[in-house]
Amino acid sequence: MEREEEVLSAIHHCVKCKLCSIASFHPNEEWLPLCPSGEYYGYQAFYAPGKMEIFRAILEGEITEPSEGLLNSVYACTVCGACYEKCKQITSVELGAPDLFEAMRRELAGKGWILDEHKAIADKIEETKNAYGEKYEYKVKEGATDENADVLYYIGCTARYRVPEIADSMLRIFDKLGVKYQVMGEEWCCGSVLFRTGQVEAAKELVAHNVEEIKKSGAKTVVFTCPGCLKTFEKNYPDMGVELLHATQFLTRLGNMNLKKEDLKAAYHDPCHLGRDLGIYDEPRAVLSKVADIKPMKREREQAWCCGSGGGVKSAFDDFALWSAAERLKEAKEAGAEALVSACPFCKRNLKEAAEKEELEVYDVVELVNRCLER
Amino acid sequence: MFREVIKMNETFSTLVKDLQAIVGEENATGDRAICTSYSRDQHWHFVPAKNPACIVRPGNKEEVRTVLMLANTHKIPVIPYSAGINVRGLTIPVHDGSILLDLSRMNRILEINPDMKTATVEPGVTFGMLLEQTRKYKLRPAFPDAPLTVSVLANYYLRGIYQTAAADGHDHTISYEMILPNGETLKTGSRALSEMPYFRYGVGPDFAGMFCAHPGTCGVVTELTAKLYRLYDNRKEYFIGFDDVDTPTKFIYNLMNDELAASIRLVDNQSWLKGIFGTFDYPYESLPKFVLCVLVEGVDGVFEAKDKLVRAYMEECGGQVLDLPAEFASTFEHESLGGAEKSCMVFGIKGRGNYHCIGLYGPLTLAAKYYAVHERTALEVGIPQDHVHFYIDPIYSFHGQLCYFELDVFYDGSDEEFGDKLRNYNEKQFHRLLELGIYGWFRPYAGIIEPTAERIGYLAEVWKKFLHVLDPNEIMNRGKLF
Ligand SMILES: Cc1cc2nc3c(=O)[nH]c(=O)nc-3n(C[C@H](O)[C@H](O)[C@H](O)COP(=O)(O)OP(=O)(O)OC[C@H]3O[C@@H](n4cnc5c(N)ncnc54)[C@H](O)[C@@H]3O)c2cc1C
Ligand code: SF4
Ligand code: SF4
Repeated sequence: MEREEEVLSAIHHCVKCKLCSIASFHPNEEWLPLCPSGEYYGYQAFYAPGKMEIFRAILEGEITEPSEGLLNSVYACTVCGACYEKCKQITSVELGAPDLFEAMRRELAGKGWILDEHKAIADKIEETKNAYGEKYEYKVKEGATDENADVLYYIGCTARYRVPEIADSMLRIFDKLGVKYQVMGEEWCCGSVLFRTGQVEAAKELVAHNVEEIKKSGAKTVVFTCPGCLKTFEKNYPDMGVELLHATQFLTRLGNMNLKKEDLKAAYHDPCHLGRDLGIYDEPRAVLSKVADIKPMKREREQAWCCGSGGGVKSAFDDFALWSAAERLKEAKEAGAEALVSACPFCKRNLKEAAEKEELEVYDVVELVNRCLER
Repeated sequence: MFREVIKMNETFSTLVKDLQAIVGEENATGDRAICTSYSRDQHWHFVPAKNPACIVRPGNKEEVRTVLMLANTHKIPVIPYSAGINVRGLTIPVHDGSILLDLSRMNRILEINPDMKTATVEPGVTFGMLLEQTRKYKLRPAFPDAPLTVSVLANYYLRGIYQTAAADGHDHTISYEMILPNGETLKTGSRALSEMPYFRYGVGPDFAGMFCAHPGTCGVVTELTAKLYRLYDNRKEYFIGFDDVDTPTKFIYNLMNDELAASIRLVDNQSWLKGIFGTFDYPYESLPKFVLCVLVEGVDGVFEAKDKLVRAYMEECGGQVLDLPAEFASTFEHESLGGAEKSCMVFGIKGRGNYHCIGLYGPLTLAAKYYAVHERTALEVGIPQDHVHFYIDPIYSFHGQLCYFELDVFYDGSDEEFGDKLRNYNEKQFHRLLELGIYGWFRPYAGIIEPTAERIGYLAEVWKKFLHVLDPNEIMNRGKLF
């Protein structure tokens, strides 16, 4: 495999202290778990140090069969990166756990050790070019777009097919603010789910198509409401010479938007791809603070608890995904929030599903912005 | 012997089914990958990886008992595991076909008794979990310098007798309950006699002491009552620099003799100090070679009096009082009295670190000699000077001038060759230290215990017989001894 020595060396540097399983204890002296997969499944294999040990054994030829436990421990991890953020505070790790775990998934996928659910997503993408296998197109209001616009909104599969209220809101915001924008004529899945589940080969065609389309569009800025798509463009796509921005970065840049603040107590949930992966913590808060009162939760920013849906978990381990989301909802309620607001369609979808019987609203920040934006 | 008995895979899948019937399907597995995740700790240069045959995660003591009885009937080795962070390969199997008994699900704090100043915990309770609750009563456990993710019960049972606060002394265990391989429950101290588990020396000999501090164990401790210590609001920290190990010993003696300071730790300027201050980002090389960290605390009146005396001793101690950023003092306070979290930064010291140490108990009078032999042996086997580190923790009430010493080497954990050097170092050093004179090893783990057992005469025989009585089928994790 690629960089095998580097990977093994990183694994040897894990000293199994398990501090990555909890948020910083000092100064508040509260025991706050950080690793959803370890907390839910309990065995060492589901915490970062155990997973690394399994990876070592694979690389050193000790594990030669894809047992159920192997597939579960590798794929029932949201690759949220919380373990890495904690680890790097106390050790000098060279390779982040998410990188290691993605390399592990590539290694497994290379051997054909892959979950049926993840393979099915790849098949759907191959057939329909979107991760949900939907055959219809998400419709943007006719005449609303401008094919010469500098701004291109990359909608993403989840906002197009599962939480369209996010895409709708973003488009309305552009309209209300008078921002000229375009969308891709033929938007294909960015490939995030394939990269995250180790199916890198299958993503190549998607990357090539999207790069070509964006180049053709002449856009200078691509705006994303989905941090997973943004991360994929940032980390897995070639440089297209265009600026890539999350919606909250774009909105912060616009400055005063004439927003009418609501009487709403909201907790902000940091999406892993936006926060830990891309370091975007302040802009979503800046935007949210203009439309609601932010109630801080105990685990935030680098040490945010993951909503539970990333890394292919939602599609293959839905019970675990919903449990993780429910933990987050509890935390938001403890913080005194009436709403839990995220900045990611994937988070919203999972949190919303978990909140079905809760008295807690779940929003994406662009929905609130749209609601509070006066024309 | 069990090694023959459990040979075939089919037998094992039956065993896993039997175990699942006891603890529930999701709590026992023989899955190869899951077992692999328990196969190695950071001590792998010395204790190579080995898979347990299955993992069992009991949820209560009745399940523990049933698992042990099953294992005893079939003579299957059992390795209790609370958090697995022992840094000595203590939970890595010796024998094929071992059951790893992961006790982390048993994580209830059974009682915090502020009047008695005690806490009773199950094995899965970590120092962090316990402090979160005890601080509500202005109480805290005695902390090791281990990450606060380790088990309180396992640490005290292993005899974690040195800790971040010298004032706590060296015995934090009061009594416990242990399940033996034959399924019998053994209660120590006053626990055996009444519902009041608050006195160590209840009936007959000090059984609590006899069972603990083995390199492994002879049963499974399912609950333990430990001492709690007071948290004071008045605190003051001092950092004093010295160029050698000898000069500060007089000062340490004075502080200990007059019982003035809660925490007293002599560390070199390149290793544990980084954890005590909570940052890698400071020009540590600009500090004197050794830094004595002192924390004074107490109730009004007593605190001021102690502080005054500490300052008086400090003036004549021959060291340089250091003026350091205020946040260093607060991290030192947290790490000493609130559970060690940053101490793990020692793993980041040599870039990507690992940590090898010989921990021992001895008198303060031998401090300089321990350091000298540490340096000499390290250099002889090719360990560079800048990898050689040292640590002293004196322990109240200082009879025998009792101190914990740590002869540390921080190194790149992925460097196999360095691992060889450390093996050479150990080979020489264990003998040299035994020659020089020590009170005992921090922990009698594999490698260190063998040359030691040779020297203890008939005691080794008695020890062996004692283990045999409790565990005739030799199923419990013997910690690679006997
Ligand atoms: C940076 C660092 C610093 C450290 N500093 C210190 C220190 O200052 N002081 C100190 O004492 N330690 C220190 N340690 C060592 C270690 O972490 C602790 O000793 C710790 O308490 C081990 O606890 P555990 O829960 O991980 O035990 P485990 O690793 O789970 O078990 C250790 C041993 O106890 C046995 N055992 C576990 N549970 C039970 C049970 N319920 N019944 C019977 N036997 C059982 C196991 O079989 C094994 O032999 C340090 C470690 C690190 C990483
Ligand atoms: S990943 Fe880092 S924090 Fe976690 S156990 Fe390993 S060394 Fe410790
Ligand atoms: S990436 Fe997230 S879920 Fe996976 S091991 Fe790390 S903290 Fe746990």
